[in-house]
Amino acid sequence: MELEDIVSKYPPKQIMLIPVVIIVLALISLGVTYLNTGSPVKLGVEFTGGTLVTVPATESEDAVSAEYDKYPLVDVRNIGNRYMVQFGPMSDSEYSDLAKQTVSKYGTNAEIRHMGPIYSKELQAQVVRYLPLSFLLMAAVVFVVFRELMVSLLVVISALADILTAAASMNVTGVQLSLGTVAALLMLIGYSVDTDILLSMRVLKRKGTTEEKIVGAMGTGFMMTGTTIAAVFSLIIVSNFLYLIIPSFTRMDIIADMTTVLIFGLAADIFNTWVTNAQGLRWYMNRPRKSARGLKR
Amino acid sequence: MSLLEDLSKDRRVVLYAVVLALAIILIGTLGLKFGLDLQGGSYLQLQLEGAVAQVDVTPEKILEVQFNASSVQKLGNAYVVMVPGKVKATLPDDLGYSGSKMVEQNNITKITITAIDTDIITNYLKKSMDADVKIVGVAPVQYEIRTNVTRESLNAILAPVGGKVSTGENAFVEGLTVETVDETKKVLDSKLNRLGMQDIRVRVVDNKYILIDLAGMDVATAQDVVGKPGKFEIRIQADNNQTIHVLYGDAVASVDIPQGDRSGGWGVPFTLSEEGAAVFQKASIDAGAVKNPDAHPISMYLDKDEVFSAPLAAELAGSLSKVPVRTLEARVGSGDAGSTKAKELYIHLREGALPVNVAIVGSGQVSAALGKQFKIQMVIAGLIALLAVAAMVFYRYRERRIVLPMVATSFSEVVMMLGIWSLGGIWFGWQLDLASLAGIIMVIGTGVDQLVIITDELIRGGEAVPAASDRSIKERAAEAAEKSGVGKAVAASSKVYLGRLSRAFTIIIGAAATTAVAMLPLLYMGFGALTGFALIIIVGVILGTAIARPAYGRIIGHILAGN
Repeated sequence: MELEDIVSKYPPKQIMLIPVVIIVLALISLGVTYLNTGSPVKLGVEFTGGTLVTVPATESEDAVSAEYDKYPLVDVRNIGNRYMVQFGPMSDSEYSDLAKQTVSKYGTNAEIRHMGPIYSKELQAQVVRYLPLSFLLMAAVVFVVFRELMVSLLVVISALADILTAAASMNVTGVQLSLGTVAALLMLIGYSVDTDILLSMRVLKRKGTTEEKIVGAMGTGFMMTGTTIAAVFSLIIVSNFLYLIIPSFTRMDIIADMTTVLIFGLAADIFNTWVTNAQGLRWYMNRPRKSARGLKR
Repeated sequence: MSLLEDLSKDRRVVLYAVVLALAIILIGTLGLKFGLDLQGGSYLQLQLEGAVAQVDVTPEKILEVQFNASSVQKLGNAYVVMVPGKVKATLPDDLGYSGSKMVEQNNITKITITAIDTDIITNYLKKSMDADVKIVGVAPVQYEIRTNVTRESLNAILAPVGGKVSTGENAFVEGLTVETVDETKKVLDSKLNRLGMQDIRVRVVDNKYILIDLAGMDVATAQDVVGKPGKFEIRIQADNNQTIHVLYGDAVASVDIPQGDRSGGWGVPFTLSEEGAAVFQKASIDAGAVKNPDAHPISMYLDKDEVFSAPLAAELAGSLSKVPVRTLEARVGSGDAGSTKAKELYIHLREGALPVNVAIVGSGQVSAALGKQFKIQMVIAGLIALLAVAAMVFYRYRERRIVLPMVATSFSEVVMMLGIWSLGGIWFGWQLDLASLAGIIMVIGTGVDQLVIITDELIRGGEAVPAASDRSIKERAAEAAEKSGVGKAVAASSKVYLGRLSRAFTIIIGAAATTAVAMLPLLYMGFGALTGFALIIIVGVILGTAIARPAYGRIIGHILAGN
């Protein structure tokens, strides 16, 4: 197995260059987007304010566009059996008219989501407040679990790398920041450390060489990430693609966005756990020092 | 046989079985409530506007500016305002100082206002902002201003009367008190209930936002319903055993926050418009209520329901026989019961209008047909997830004896979560929405992670041999056991086994705790949209770590050791 060879044969400092490069690339992607748009990832309609309407696809897209041409129409998309019509920010009275018009034509068959300026502003503030908080809470738990600075720090750094990679992948794939993707990023904060904790525990608590223990933990770790990916993948299929096969089904936006970010994050997690964190541990455990191997808490 | 016997003695396994059975009973009897996005309907998200502030301002200066007075003097519990020239008779009432006396002498009008300093400041803030203001703190006195206000705009309002917001961060805090938010929620609750609406859900998020779910209603109607006031009416008992109409709600100019008096009695002060007061006087005289108040009680109705009924007070009846009275008070009784009644009547008098100004933050509607479809799609996703996970587990262990318990444990965790959810539905109004269904699927994915950790720790306890999937579990387990010095497969009660199990749980608890704390912020984020998602993951992680996974550890231990 190549990954196992990489993990155990090459000197840690050389291998560590790869994650460093990836983190730098992710930071560049986030930075460029920030300079262009004022935020590190593209903001979805929830963060910019606006209205989303989905209606049954009974007529042509053009007919639907024409129907709504007096409102700040942004986009009309076919999402399988239905059209999703997106509007930019509008005044309360405009929205009220839009809602009445939509309801009188489609009744309760229409789906409407209106996000006013207060909503989007507050949501932005919440993300800025809660995303770091979530991360700090996770880091605190990690420190409590290990009570050892370097080991905990490695776990936290790996998690940070996961989040950065996942966020950068949003820019690459064109997924916008929505409530769903924020939830996904928060979830990654929690999940990405699972395998790191397993790895670090095995390396700290078991007998044997660090390399052997890392490779041993890998079997379990791959399986863990594998089952999570399996669950995420089933959500991706159902939310994203099922409507292409079964025409009566519809794309579930919030789930689709969420799972896209998760899948990138989980992929990054495999790499960061078994390369970033594992190499960090190799370097830390095998460094010349006075104390014996097999640290006790 | 012996397997079941052994397991039935283990308290972890017993606890697991009991909780699982309870969950099934709960789901069966209580059922599950589905969220708006799965059953269709509309929602409104309102922001409550307001702030709590301390101000530096003198009442004398306020009165001086308001009345254009030459001098203002404080005399005990009253202020004496001297105004050059004539003053319109209704001016004190218009400015909100009811019950003041006015005497004109030598082209100077002397107005005596019975009020303490905080009353005057409250009154001034109320008038200048056209919003309710309530005193919420003593020493320092804090005013709760129930409308959109900033430190700057409040300073601008206080500047003409020589005042300002007190210095310091704490002197101006955005947001309302918990009591006010609660009261607003009650107003909405009672209003929607009165309209006979089924299946409504009013929630408060962050003490700042009120979220209303109206199942089975389109968003245009919902906005009308929440925005539309109720129909308030005052009637009077006539001689012929019937009540006759006196006034509608439009004649009520303002309603004050309920007040208790020194003897513990409670009442709701309100002011009639000038015309309203005249109509009220005439009706009272015509019906005979002025001469014989007890036989002709005044009653109030909101949307045809009687909300108040009492005779005119003797002194009021006396005044009404001579002049119209604009400032009235509906007395409702004393003590806690009186206080509660007063608060209810206050809501009714305001025709169900909200006590604070609100801004619509967002709204929308979900189609019922679409919701049903989403439900089906999520169940499919859940089944695919379980199957995919089972396939992965089988691929790795190639042992039915591991795959079945693992998948069964994962599935039972879902059942337990749903059990808690049906209980939470009764207690806290928890609902299963799209987000919480996604949460369940994520718990399936990560729950199995942890079962894998347990299984691997037990199978390959002491050493670190790379996974060799071509060897059978028994071989590997035996080898592991040999290396760790046991010599045969680990007995389910042996020290080695327990040691491994506890090591597995150190990892599991660490992983579960990080997942749970990372989810905590989501409980409050996004106006409650993802509360269900975060909550079900946290509940699932706790249930799994505390109940299902310990039991799995025991069961799988017995299975691996036995037979």
